[in-house]
Amino acid sequence: MFMRNMGLALILAMGLISYSQGVMAAEPECGANTGQKATGDPIVVGGINGNAPPGDFSGGTDAAAAYFLCVNDNGGINGRPIKYIVENDQWNPELAAQVATKLVKDDGVVALVGNGSVVSMAVNAKLYKDEDVMAMASACAISDCYENSNIVSTNQGPLPSGIGALKFAVEELGTEHAACIGFNIPNNGGWACDWAGKYMESVGKKSTALLMDPSAVDLNSVYLQALAEGVDTIMLMLPAGPALGILKVAEEQDGGDTFKWISPTPLYDPTVPEALGDYWNNKLYVNIELGPFNSDGPDNQNWIAVMDKYGEDGDRRDTFSQSGYLSAKFFVDTLLKMDPAEINRTNVTKAIKGISGLTSDLLCGPYYVGDFDRHMPNHAGRMVVYADNEFKVVRDCYDIESSYLDSIRQQERQLKLIQ
Amino acid sequence: MDVISHFRQESRTYAALGFVAICVIVLPVVIDSIWVKVLTSAVIFTLAAYGISLLYSQLGLVNLSQVALIGVGGWIMLRLNYAVQLPFELNLLVSAVITAFIGMILALPAMRMKGLYLALITLMVAGGFQIIFSAIQFPNGGAGFLGVALQSPGEMRRPLIAESDTAYLRYSIIVVVLGVMLAAAHNRGRPGRAWAMIRKSEANAMAAGVNVTLYKLWCFTLSGFLAGVSGGLLAGALKILDAKSFPAGESILLFALSIVGGVGHWMGAVIAGFLYRVVPAIFNNIGIDADLSLVIFGAALLHAIMTAPNGIAGQLSSLFQSLGRQNK
Repeated sequence: MFMRNMGLALILAMGLISYSQGVMAAEPECGANTGQKATGDPIVVGGINGNAPPGDFSGGTDAAAAYFLCVNDNGGINGRPIKYIVENDQWNPELAAQVATKLVKDDGVVALVGNGSVVSMAVNAKLYKDEDVMAMASACAISDCYENSNIVSTNQGPLPSGIGALKFAVEELGTEHAACIGFNIPNNGGWACDWAGKYMESVGKKSTALLMDPSAVDLNSVYLQALAEGVDTIMLMLPAGPALGILKVAEEQDGGDTFKWISPTPLYDPTVPEALGDYWNNKLYVNIELGPFNSDGPDNQNWIAVMDKYGEDGDRRDTFSQSGYLSAKFFVDTLLKMDPAEINRTNVTKAIKGISGLTSDLLCGPYYVGDFDRHMPNHAGRMVVYADNEFKVVRDCYDIESSYLDSIRQQERQLKLIQ
Repeated sequence: MDVISHFRQESRTYAALGFVAICVIVLPVVIDSIWVKVLTSAVIFTLAAYGISLLYSQLGLVNLSQVALIGVGGWIMLRLNYAVQLPFELNLLVSAVITAFIGMILALPAMRMKGLYLALITLMVAGGFQIIFSAIQFPNGGAGFLGVALQSPGEMRRPLIAESDTAYLRYSIIVVVLGVMLAAAHNRGRPGRAWAMIRKSEANAMAAGVNVTLYKLWCFTLSGFLAGVSGGLLAGALKILDAKSFPAGESILLFALSIVGGVGHWMGAVIAGFLYRVVPAIFNNIGIDADLSLVIFGAALLHAIMTAPNGIAGQLSSLFQSLGRQNK
């Protein structure tokens, strides 16, 4: 009897221990992780997203907001909480200029973190430079994000991610002629599809850019254009919404096997499998700019824990959300090394430009900023395929080859991150 | 009687001068940076709204392509900025003149139309420009005629005396005042008299020897000129323009707000510019969806059509007149 009771007690104790470990594993770790609320003078940080048709780029600021809340509950920046102000530019250049001016000049932010927009960076790059404020962006999709001194983005953007998808398609799927379907925005679809074309040319293959008017998206006509061009591969250089729309059009016309289907990262979204269904099993390949959602890596698990505890119901949990989490984490880690009394815009900008060699399981390479006239620290990704209602990794971390990265590799050599 | 009307005229002039002085000297100093940006846009669209108001009040013509013409002015301004190293003012003038010429060309086939048919034609023109803008994009420093490069945009220069946002707001106010004065000079001169006769009766105007086609075209051209100036100023304010910013629907909205503000009075155009750009910004700033402003604009338009044919400016004018009478 005694032994039986002891056995039951042992099983119960082990159960409790494993349960508490499970609970502990779900507890997020943020900043100094003191468990004490920060009560000092707030540090004002801004973020701008673009959330309006035809795309939602709010994942980065959602995750950054959640991480900052977590940091504030865990000692803040050596006692000082972060006051995070997020604005939505609604894909409107006028509004983008207004909200950036408000954040930078009126609210006096020390930096911008988690930004994700298609118009904001083009409008505001000069403002950031003139006002000496850094933007640690997370969901960038235009050239301006990667070709300015005061903007550094944790996500790759459509250029490396698109070329990464094409590289896989050429090497594994036998692509000979790819259509690059994007928005007719010179520094977005035009820019990314142009460099995708240069990559295809460099490997002796063909590429055709099919660019749509973002304010009058006609998915049927662009699909028919791809058919008429005689391509064998379609790359969806689009936000998730319009990309899914084209996949639906293709499904209606049973075009799943007519083309090989590839995409840069926006289609890597937990809600996408529900929209795809069995028809797309093993037909859709997506290049992902950060880690897989189901990875056991510490940063990925912490991102999930932070979003579970501090995120809001409507928050996106896509690659851009991972990116926002990571931008916010790198930002906080940088600020924690500073004297809290000395945290002002000038010093924060200097500290951010001093970032070099940070690592994360979400990234395939080191994260760095440096004092350069352009930044693209993340240019290596993974490839996943949609199968059985989920995405499965089919190629782990690999880098791309493009002359666009020549100056970036020079920076990495200068910072001794590569040989 | 002459003394009274002279006094009223003088009072109006002083009121206008006071309004402009406050806008130029005081406003940029006391408002936050975001409102400097918002007001700059509002001021710029005031001039375009005045162009709409001019056509409607002088000739009863409905122009639903004004925002598209602002886009044309902006496109030319950006192209000139990247192509030639001329002063901002010269680029602005050339942009306005070319836009006026394009406005005149577009008005030619519309000359035989009136009312709803003219409105529809101008709306189709706006739709056409929307497609053209999307196809050719706005210049960003690239080579060739279109000047579009697949890269980050180059630098859009501002006037040397107005490089900061605050100075640019002041600069824009002064340019807009000059534009309104140019239109007012037309109103008071020979074209204004011809427009008045045409408005009363085209047949009578023709019988009196007025070249109806010429003066209608003149009014369209002047309205296009004001739109061109607005577009040039907008390019300088934002430094980049994009194809999505000039949809045909915006022209309808600006026309509706010109009616709400009050056509035929400069204050009406100021109110239209304010409603068009400041009200959505206020909503945005307090966290309310800016699209709610469309509901308010719709209600305001109904109000204007039913009870205030002279718009808010007309109502304010009546209010001040009655207050003046009470104080005598």
